[in-house]
Amino acid sequence: MEEKTEGALPRPEIEEDSCKGCGRCVAACPKKCLSIQEHMNRMGIRPVGYVGTGCIGCAMCFYNCPEPYAIKVVKP
Amino acid sequence: MKTIEQKGMYQKFPRSGKDTRVTHYCAGCGHGIVNKLVAECCAEMGLQDQTIFVDPVGCGVFTYYYWDAAHISAAHGRASAAATGVSRARPDAVTIAYQGDGDLGAIGFNNAFQAASRGEKFGCIFINNSLYGMTGGQMAPTTLEGEKTTTTPFGRDPALTGHPLHVCEVFNQLQAPVYIARVSVADTKRIMQCKQAIKRLFEIQRDHKGYALLEILAPCPTNFRMDPLKAAEFCKNEMEAEFPLGTFRDVDKGVTPEAIGAQHQASAALEVKSVPQVASCAELFGVSDGVDAPPAEDDPSVPERRFKFAGYGGQGILSLGICVAEAARLEKRHTLWFPSYGPEQRGGSASCSVVVSGTPIGSPTVEHPDVLVCMNQPSYERFVGDVKKGGIVIVDASVPITKQPPEGVKLYQVPAIQMAEDFGVPKAANTMMLAALRAFKATGLDDAHLETALCASFKKKPQLVEKNRDLLHRAEAALLNN
Repeated sequence: MEEKTEGALPRPEIEEDSCKGCGRCVAACPKKCLSIQEHMNRMGIRPVGYVGTGCIGCAMCFYNCPEPYAIKVVKP
Repeated sequence: MKTIEQKGMYQKFPRSGKDTRVTHYCAGCGHGIVNKLVAECCAEMGLQDQTIFVDPVGCGVFTYYYWDAAHISAAHGRASAAATGVSRARPDAVTIAYQGDGDLGAIGFNNAFQAASRGEKFGCIFINNSLYGMTGGQMAPTTLEGEKTTTTPFGRDPALTGHPLHVCEVFNQLQAPVYIARVSVADTKRIMQCKQAIKRLFEIQRDHKGYALLEILAPCPTNFRMDPLKAAEFCKNEMEAEFPLGTFRDVDKGVTPEAIGAQHQASAALEVKSVPQVASCAELFGVSDGVDAPPAEDDPSVPERRFKFAGYGGQGILSLGICVAEAARLEKRHTLWFPSYGPEQRGGSASCSVVVSGTPIGSPTVEHPDVLVCMNQPSYERFVGDVKKGGIVIVDASVPITKQPPEGVKLYQVPAIQMAEDFGVPKAANTMMLAALRAFKATGLDDAHLETALCASFKKKPQLVEKNRDLLHRAEAALLNN
């Protein structure tokens, strides 16, 4: 069986400068793999970030996000 | 490879600002979620070239910045009337009106109701967030019983202001509509149901079946005065209890009202409950009534000093300006405070100008400030070049200095946001900036007056007075030590 590489897994892609830090995606993620980060974006808001593993590509974060371009989900 | 991303919207929103890719909505706003779904459904169904949106007045006013389709902006409350015209003039088009509580529920109710009664061929999306968002959280017809808004500070009392208006149920008494439903965007399950309902609305319009109304319960964290997650909970628990979700009518699918012109329950005569008494409007709204500060006195020896405070809405920029203006007032100076902000209450750019002078002031606008206080990068980049020679710029340390201030201008980088967080009060970054203004002697005003003004600004929340006074002293000491 082919081993799945890191790049082959689904993952959220976050555009930090578009994030308003509301946390709806963090609460909606069934795998709890999003969190609010320590650093600030251009607007002076702490944006959400992907913890690095756990994404199943369900896109609940995308649908809960009020911003069009803050988060998208890539499924390789 | 498949990417789940936004469809149906412009890649950038140049009408909002060059290179802007964010909406004007507050963090956690229900409008944002609905805007995304509407754009996505429109694109997925291939209707972008056929759709004409009629935009409202309200928080949803700027949907034409975002949705890549045709738009017409209607006067306040007239979206349904304008949509009637559009759908009659262009019967081949898909016409969608997008309206809010005030636009559809109040000033425009008759327009919407009569259009529904005539069975005009357009779809109406009605965002119900139980209050007037754009104007600052006043009571709407849909406000829940007991819900506190700025115009019902003791909670909505039905005896005085009536009961919440159930738009779907009222419209369901009419013969003509073919589809009436209420959905919500409070959580993932509801958002997906909402998407299905929006799709159905588009389907009905694509097939030119008749009038369709979709009410969407949306959280308004800013005016609920809650964080985005609590606001979504409120939407789910409190609002749904008053406004149950469901499809009231979908004629093609056999869902019809059991009896048109159903029973009207006569409600018992209501007795007006006693209204709590307050001494004055000033007390009710927590503003100074002008008694505790003396009128301005002319003193030509005091030169005019101009301030600019800038950041994003929610950082306390406008309050900081008020503090400085109030301190000037206590010092018997002439002073003006002049805010500038967008329709959004949080998240957009906000700035204010303050002018302090020993003589009467001509204009409240400040083009070239003596003192500039910036809390984020966009505001720094926008205003730093305008500062007068010999002036001062105080900027939050989180802002990268991408642009040098003009020659002869002093730049101070103050970790205000960081300090406020270190002190355990993240909202007090503006108090930290006030401490910096005091420490650098930037205002030319008396330290005691600045402190009194800071305390006065928390008149409504007395528990915060001492805390902020303490923070001010600690921050000032920390700044002077460095």
